[in-house]
Amino acid sequence: MHHATTLTAAILAGLLAASCAGNSTHVATQSDYNKALADAKAAILEARKAHYEWRDSGKILKQADKAAKAGDFTKAVKLANKAMRQGQIALAQSEHEKNAGPRM
Amino acid sequence: MKKIAVIASAFCMLLTPLVSSAANPAQDLKDFRKHYTEMFPEIPLHDFVNGVYSVDKDSREQWEAFEEFPPYETYVEKGEELFNKPFKNGKTYASCFPKAEQGIKQNYPYFDKNRGEVVTLELAINECREANGEKPLKYKKGAIAHLSAYIAYKSRGKKGNVKIDSSPESMQWYARGKKHFYAKRGQLNMSCADCHYHNPGKKIRADILSPALGHTSHFPVFRNKWSQSSKSGDGMGTLQRRYGGCNSQVRAKPFKAQSKEYRALEYFHTYMSNGLTMNGPGIRK
Repeated sequence: MHHATTLTAAILAGLLAASCAGNSTHVATQSDYNKALADAKAAILEARKAHYEWRDSGKILKQADKAAKAGDFTKAVKLANKAMRQGQIALAQSEHEKNAGPRM
Repeated sequence: MKKIAVIASAFCMLLTPLVSSAANPAQDLKDFRKHYTEMFPEIPLHDFVNGVYSVDKDSREQWEAFEEFPPYETYVEKGEELFNKPFKNGKTYASCFPKAEQGIKQNYPYFDKNRGEVVTLELAINECREANGEKPLKYKKGAIAHLSAYIAYKSRGKKGNVKIDSSPESMQWYARGKKHFYAKRGQLNMSCADCHYHNPGKKIRADILSPALGHTSHFPVFRNKWSQSSKSGDGMGTLQRRYGGCNSQVRAKPFKAQSKEYRALEYFHTYMSNGLTMNGPGIRK
């Protein structure tokens, strides 16, 4: 009986921990933002080198910068990650389209 | 024997992508034209120079009414004044474009073998200015569009005569422009071809898409949209101004006017309308 109670408590604790982890309650820091910003800039640069940069990636980074300056690093990281994904997808797009021609 | 067949087969496999991607401008031109004439069998080839008005009757009626008092006339006159106004050194644009009065727009852009690059009319205008000690003009609108409009006007009736030089450098420029035309880009994942090759005549939101065949014959253009966003009402703009707008509309970052990317695109795009009659400047929505 005691063993069963301990097991139930352990499972509940595990579920609670998993639930907390899933709830993105992590508050981002300046350091998190700096890393996200560097990653985003690198991804956008790669897309630019391929002549495939998207229109809004730079604007999104400006919004991220604004949020960081206001101290909202969680929002800033989110925006920087969005810009990074744009850079990554744009680069993949350039690869996909490298042999583009008329579709028959 | 079996070995030879395997080697031959492997060789063919290696060669196939090279052959299929090798640029053949003359064949491209033939295929391009065939595509539109089959898509719009009722439209005579020469009418494609009228852009969207060749494929949409209702818009055509409005456009014909506009053409009775065309808004670009003022800017053609401004271009003529600029063309004949002496630089500080006393020379005029005629020193760089001695045959402009007879029509030269049909020969642009061209591949300059010595420089190894494509030269557009607007680039040549600015190079003329710099050679005569003047500052270059901004490339998309204003005085450069007026000068270009005047030169285009003088070239009316000439047949497009862009020559694709067969040198490897020239073919690289051509292939780059061709790729830009057909490759999807931007967040909306759309190419120039998606709108103007595969879907001309169809609607995109409230607008009807124009065929790419004949596009370049009527530039620069006076666009009502550009006029409305201009304090002075000057709606004139160059072809590369429009390229930037198109790229931006599919949420791709536009290239700079007269960048290699847009000059390459203009090289391919204009060659695709070779043989059609120059009728610039034009009026567009």
